[in-house]
Amino acid sequence: MLAEQIINGVVLGSMYALIAQGYTLVFGVLDKLNFAHGEVFMLGGFICVASIALGASLPIAILVTAIIAGLLGLVVEFIGFRKFQSPDAHLTAALSSFAIGLVIIDLSQKIWGAESVAVTLPGTLQTAAVSIGGLRIVMLRLAILVISLLLMLALYVVVTRSSLGRRIRAVAESPTKAALFGINVTRINQQVFFVASMMAGLAGLALALRTGYASSDVGFTFGLKALAIMAIGGMGDLRGALIGGLIIGVLEALAFHWGLGQLADVFVWLLMIVILLMRPSGLFGTLISKEVRA
Amino acid sequence: MDVYPQSILSVDGLSKSFRGLTALDQISLDVRRGEILGLMGPNGAGKSVFINVITGLYPADYGTVRFLGRDVTRLPSYALARLGIARTYQNIRLLRRMTVLENVLVAIKDHVNRPLRSLFIRNRSRFVRAATTLLEQFHLADKRDRLAGSLAYGEARRLEIARALAGKPSLLLLDEPAAGMNERETEELGDTIRASRKLLEAMVIVEHDVAMMRGLADRLVVMDAGHKIAEGKPGEVLAEPSVIEAYLGTDEADE
Amino acid sequence: MIQDYIVFVGVNIVLAWSVYVILLAGSLSFANGGFMAIGAYVSGVLTVKFGFPLVIAALISGIAAGLIGVLAGFPALRTRGIYLMLVTVGIAVSVKAVIESIDYVGGIQGFGGMVGTTPWHVVGLVVLVGSGLALLSRSPLQRILDAVREDELSAASLGINPIYVKLTCFGVGAFLAAVAGSFYAHYLIHVSPDQVLSVFIVLYAVLGGTNNMWGPPIGAAIMTLTPEFVRGLEAWRPTAFGVIILCLLLIRPDGLLAFRIATTRTKAVAGSKPKQST
Repeated sequence: MLAEQIINGVVLGSMYALIAQGYTLVFGVLDKLNFAHGEVFMLGGFICVASIALGASLPIAILVTAIIAGLLGLVVEFIGFRKFQSPDAHLTAALSSFAIGLVIIDLSQKIWGAESVAVTLPGTLQTAAVSIGGLRIVMLRLAILVISLLLMLALYVVVTRSSLGRRIRAVAESPTKAALFGINVTRINQQVFFVASMMAGLAGLALALRTGYASSDVGFTFGLKALAIMAIGGMGDLRGALIGGLIIGVLEALAFHWGLGQLADVFVWLLMIVILLMRPSGLFGTLISKEVRA
Repeated sequence: MDVYPQSILSVDGLSKSFRGLTALDQISLDVRRGEILGLMGPNGAGKSVFINVITGLYPADYGTVRFLGRDVTRLPSYALARLGIARTYQNIRLLRRMTVLENVLVAIKDHVNRPLRSLFIRNRSRFVRAATTLLEQFHLADKRDRLAGSLAYGEARRLEIARALAGKPSLLLLDEPAAGMNERETEELGDTIRASRKLLEAMVIVEHDVAMMRGLADRLVVMDAGHKIAEGKPGEVLAEPSVIEAYLGTDEADE
Repeated sequence: MIQDYIVFVGVNIVLAWSVYVILLAGSLSFANGGFMAIGAYVSGVLTVKFGFPLVIAALISGIAAGLIGVLAGFPALRTRGIYLMLVTVGIAVSVKAVIESIDYVGGIQGFGGMVGTTPWHVVGLVVLVGSGLALLSRSPLQRILDAVREDELSAASLGINPIYVKLTCFGVGAFLAAVAGSFYAHYLIHVSPDQVLSVFIVLYAVLGGTNNMWGPPIGAAIMTLTPEFVRGLEAWRPTAFGVIILCLLLIRPDGLLAFRIATTRTKAVAGSKPKQST
């Protein structure tokens, strides 16, 4: 059913958006690309699996995933980005975060094996559905959508209206100036990484719940696509990442519905390339990032 | 717009805006064979924009540029350079991590024109000799193996001019060559420019230094806020009330 | 066994050089993994399904990749820094996605049957490419590349067409990656997108230092051979990789940023330390 597919697309898109916003946060504030981000997302699924296997209830699993993912983000920041803060170092930072990502993949494969691992959920959590206006919507997916949107809304509010948000935007605009104003840039970087990684981890958890299993290659497939989405929506723009994610999610769902699934990936990347060439600042404005230097 | 038969460069109605801000408004002028044309005006007058449009950095919105009779308005920078328009930049753009000699070598005419073939020829002594000769003319030969980034400011500017001349251009555009120089350096620069005259058909110099321009330029064009406000011999132009006002209106009275 | 080493190291050296060639003109391309895959697949199809001899097939695939490289490079090279990074990553990922969707070549599984690479092929390639690069570094063309890399704007003022130079390098880099990929595929006797699309190529090139043509092969050799030599770590190869990369990056970040420094001038009297700039 077309309408159901669209809703599926929106759910998918909200997951993309969560990840993309994480990329956006790091890019906007540190002006660097974090290639370990996708793997933190991937790990989120496994943490969820592990927690549930250890007997945790779903809410606890969510909490645990969020915290561990956030902490992992701090580790990534420390190893991969702390030493490479100069504006010239974006290649080095990209490479080091890539290396960290590699290690994460390998470690997770050592722990959980290279195959996908199934998530065992209590009872009918996976399939309980609800009917709204003649459409059958899986409750789980609805929950994912709602929680994702709430998270992103919360992020938006924090960034635009809180004092923390002001400090973040100050660092995003110019770390040197922010430091002159007495802002602890390193602390802000850490907080940004924590939040971004937390969101990625939760997105991973959402994916695991939605599909029923966690697998180690989603970081590369899913996660990297979120990078493209960030570029499409606007490098360093949170709203762009959200809207971009939702649009791509819906387009992908529709593409699968019409049997064009294969081409969805290519399309997204080609779209990114086109946008970067024509409008490097992406489709939407700039919230967070500084002037785009093309 | 009358075109002197002796025109090297003929600009007609050149206009350029950036996001609604007019930088050049219908500029028309000629550069005549054998002359040094000074381009002056207060900050923001559009002098550098003019040079940048002429040399292909920005595309013009309207107007035409003719060089040696040919319409070159839409050509990219490298094509203009190959046709014989050379320039220097306000903040000296040398290849700092290459040697002085190499900076000139890279610019020698024929050295760059056939990159693929040049893969197979070595340091053709012909090119090296030409480059060294040029360096000697500019009193830089003793520094030929130094890294360009290690030169003093005045020397660096000389090197930039020498390099611009290595391509055997017909027209040389200097964008604020005396920027940041003290009096002695400015004098030396004046000597360098005078010595270079015979290697060229014509020169255009963008400058603030009124004294320098008075002594060096054959003719002056003064710009203000994108318009040409005066043109003629230095003595006359600099005495015009509109020119004096344009300068005194800002922080600039160099006199 | 020693055969394996020679082939793998040799292939990776050429791959590293394929990135180096593009770096010479001032761009960092993550797309060469994609060109490697194109080379592997095109040559594989030519030999397996059409009976072409290996070297011819490799050359044809190289030219094909080179053309695609120029086409893709044309828009890509208008971007800089992070954006160029992303665009070239996009190219590589798009190539992978396209290959996976073509059933004729087996989609995700790939297909097999391509044979013919001997260590001599690879050694020959390495020698050929190495000689070419050595010749380049002593020629006036090297200076032109340096000028474009260091300051495109002033290079253009001197009559050098930076786009032409960059595109040529991009195409040559694609060509080299494709030929290397062809030989690689014909040694593995099977191609699949995961096997022949290496994401490490840029790492090889950059880790050994990009000051001159010898850095990339050193990086390639180290990255290829080290995990082999540390017994018991076979299984931990990716982690070992990652850790080695991180250590090198943390200890020697100059080795990477050095790609912006012109080739070492032995005769030059350095008046100042070379500075980094992007």
